[in-house]
Amino acid sequence: MPDFNVRSDSVNVEQIMDQIRARIREKRGVDYTEQEVRELAAVKLEKFLDPRGVRSDLLEQFRKKESAETSQPLPNYEFTDQTLYETHRAPIRWIRQLLNPLLKLFFNPNPLIQALHIQSQLNTMTVERDAARRGLVQLQYEVLHNLVLETTRLGIEVKNLKMRVESLTGRLEFNERRARALESVVVYKSPDERERGGGGGRAPHAEPPVPRAEPPAPRSEAATQPAAPPAETSEGPGQRSRRRRRRRGRRGGGLASTIMGGPQAPATSAPEADAVREAVGDHGTAAESIEREMAADSTSGPETDDLGPGEE
Amino acid sequence: MKLAVVVQRYGPAINGGAELHARYVAEHLARHAEVEVLTTCATDYVSWRNELPADVEMINGVSVRRFRVRQERDTTDFGRRSDHVFKLPHSIADELAWLDSEGPASPSLVRFINRNASRYDYFFFFSYRYYHAYHGPRAAPSRAVLVPTAERDDAIGLSIFPAIFRGVRAIMYNSPEERAMIEAIAANQQVPSVVVGIGSEVPANPQPGRFRQKFNIRGPFAVYVGRIDENKGCRELFEAFLEYVRSESTRLTLVLIGNSMLPIPEHPRIRHLGFLDDGDKFDAIAGSELLVMPSYFESLSMVALEAWALGRPVLANARCDVLKGQSIRSNAGLYYETRAEFVETLRALESNRWLSVALGRNGRQFFREHYDWPVIERKYLDMMARLANEPAGPGIEPLPGWLARRRRDRPAAREVAAALAAGPVVRSEPPRMVDTTQSQTPTRPAPPPAQRRSGAERDHGDRRRRGWQARPQARRQRPGGA
Repeated sequence: MPDFNVRSDSVNVEQIMDQIRARIREKRGVDYTEQEVRELAAVKLEKFLDPRGVRSDLLEQFRKKESAETSQPLPNYEFTDQTLYETHRAPIRWIRQLLNPLLKLFFNPNPLIQALHIQSQLNTMTVERDAARRGLVQLQYEVLHNLVLETTRLGIEVKNLKMRVESLTGRLEFNERRARALESVVVYKSPDERERGGGGGRAPHAEPPVPRAEPPAPRSEAATQPAAPPAETSEGPGQRSRRRRRRRGRRGGGLASTIMGGPQAPATSAPEADAVREAVGDHGTAAESIEREMAADSTSGPETDDLGPGEE
Repeated sequence: MKLAVVVQRYGPAINGGAELHARYVAEHLARHAEVEVLTTCATDYVSWRNELPADVEMINGVSVRRFRVRQERDTTDFGRRSDHVFKLPHSIADELAWLDSEGPASPSLVRFINRNASRYDYFFFFSYRYYHAYHGPRAAPSRAVLVPTAERDDAIGLSIFPAIFRGVRAIMYNSPEERAMIEAIAANQQVPSVVVGIGSEVPANPQPGRFRQKFNIRGPFAVYVGRIDENKGCRELFEAFLEYVRSESTRLTLVLIGNSMLPIPEHPRIRHLGFLDDGDKFDAIAGSELLVMPSYFESLSMVALEAWALGRPVLANARCDVLKGQSIRSNAGLYYETRAEFVETLRALESNRWLSVALGRNGRQFFREHYDWPVIERKYLDMMARLANEPAGPGIEPLPGWLARRRRDRPAAREVAAALAAGPVVRSEPPRMVDTTQSQTPTRPAPPPAQRRSGAERDHGDRRRRGWQARPQARRQRPGGA
C-alpha cells in the first residue's frame, strides 16, 4: 500500500517527491543531505560544537593559507665549482678560466664555492622538507575536517535517535496500556461452565456477562464459602501464576485453614462440596462476588486483587 | 551542403558519451547532407595514443578522416596542471598549457580546418573542453557550431572557454541546464542556440522474456546501465540498495550492466552481467521495473532517454541537475538526494504499479516529443537554415597579448564553477524568437557576469534573462538554523 496519494491521472513528480519527503520526515525526523551536513559543518559549527575550540571557517582559512604558501615557490640555485666562471659568452668564459690562477693569488675562492654549494643543497633539502610538511598539514586538515564533519553528522544523528526513542517510548506505553486492556476483557470458562452456560443457567440479576479471568475456585472452597468472590476481573500474568501456585498448594495439602486448624475449616469432602454448590447455585454467587470485587477494585487498587476470598 | 563533424575519437567500438553522440549525429545528418568526420588517430581517452592510421575510411557510410596526435598524454603532468588551474589563481598561459596537456593535441587537424574551411558549410565541434574544440573554432569561426556536452565540473570555470562560447556561430545544447550554465558563465545569449540532445535507436519490439531466460533472472528487477564506477555514484547505489533490501520486504533485484571498475558487493539480490550488446541492453531495460541512474554529472543521460523510450520510469540522483530537471520536466522519473529518499522512492516505484506505469507512459511521450530522431534531425536542419539566413558574427575574441596571457589574475576554476547558479530547469523551453537586427549589428559581447556581479545578482539576472525558470536548489528549513 503506497503511503502517498496520487489521485489524478496526470502525475506530478514534484508533488510525489514532496509527499515522499514528508513521509521520510515523519518516519526519521529531519533528514539532511550531504551538502547540508557540509554547510552545517562549515558555517553552523557553534550550534553543535564549542566555538572556542574549532574554527567555523576552517576550510576558508586553510585555503587561504595553502594558496599563500603554494603560490610562492621558494627560489633555489645550482652551485658547482664552475658556477663562478659561467657565462653565455664563450670568450669571456675562456678568459676567466685563463685568469683563474691569477685570481687565486689574491684570494682562495674554493671555500666560497664549497659554502655556496652546501647552501644550495640545504635549500633543496628545506624545500623538500617543506613540501613534506605541507603534505602533512594537508593530511591533518583532512582529518580535522572529516572529524568536524562526522561530529556534526553524529550530532544530527543523536538528535534524530532521541526523537526516535521518544517516539518508541510513546508507542511502548501505548502497547502496554493496550495489552492490559486486552487482558481485562479475556473471558475464561471451564468446560463445565460452558456446558451449563449453553442451558442458560445464569443468575437472573447478572445481566451483562461478567468477564472471569479465573477458573472456578476449588470445589471444597466453593462449597464452604459460597458467598466469597471467586476471582478478580482483571489481572496480569504474574497474578495468575501466583494464584495457580496457591491453588496447587491447596490441592496438595488441603485447605490452608484446615491445615492450620482454623475455626472456619470445612468438614465436608469434595463430593459433598459439589453437591452443596449445585444446591446453592454457583453462578449466582459467582456473579455477586464479582460485582463485589469490582467495587473493591475501584477502591483498593491492584494489590488487593491478589487476595482471594477467605485469604484476607 | 557539406558538413564536418569534429570529435576527439571516432569509431563503431567507441562508446564514450560525446563520441557516440557525434557518431549518431554524423550518421543521421548524412541522410540530408554530405558529412565528413574529422578526428584523431587515438582510441584511448586516457593516453590519446595514435592507434589508427592517419587516413580516410568509411564507417557506416560516413567518411572519416583521421589526424595524428602530437603527443600522448602525460597523466602526471596533466594532473599537476589540473590541480594548478582548478584550485589556484593562475594565468591564461597556464590554462592553454593545461589544454595542451589534456590532449588530444592535433595541430595537423587544426591546420586542415584552417586550410579547407571554405570546402565545408559548417563544422560541428563536439566536447568544448578538448584541444580540437578550442583551436578548431578559432580556425573557422564563421562556420563553427559547437556541441559543448558540458557538465558541471571544474573545467567549465576556466577563462579560455567563454570566448569560444560567445564567438561560435551556434550552439547545440544537450539540456536546458547545460544552456543555463553556459549562458551564466559566458553571457552568450546572443549566440543562436537550441536544446537538442540526442536520439536513440530503440527497437520496436524488445524481448524481455529472452533476456530473463538468457541470464536466468526471475522476479522484478531494477537495472543500472553504464560504467560501474565510483564517479558514477555506484558505491552509493550499492549501499542504498542493500539498505533497501534490509529494511523492506522486497523482491527486487538490482541488475548491473557494464564494465566494473569497482568491487561489487556479494549479495544474492545484486547481479552483475558485464558489458552487453545493445539488443540485450534494450531487452533488459524493457523487462525491468525501473532504471536507476546514480550519476552525479551528466550532460545528457542517453540510457535514461532509452528507458523512457521503452516506457520505463527512472530513479535518478537529484544531485545531477540535468537528470533531476529531466525527471521533473518529463514527469517520468523520481529522484533521490539521500539514502532515505532512495529507499522511499524505490519502495514507491516497486509497490505502486499504477505510479510506475504512469511515469513510464509520460517518459515515452517525453522521448517521442523531444528526442525522437526526426525531431533531432529537424532541429539540426532548422539551425543550419537559420544560420544561412543570418550574417556571421564578429567571430571569436583574440587572445590577450603575451604579457597579459602570463598575468596570474585568473581565479581558481573550481571557485568559478562553484559560484554558478545550480538547480534544475523545471519548465520546458519556450520557443525563442531570433532578433535579427541585433545579429546584423553585432557588438562586442560583454565580459562574463562572474567579473561584474555577485553570485546572487548574477543568479537572479540570468534567470530573468533566460525567460524560463531555473530553480535554485531547494533548501529545507532546519530546526534551529538561522
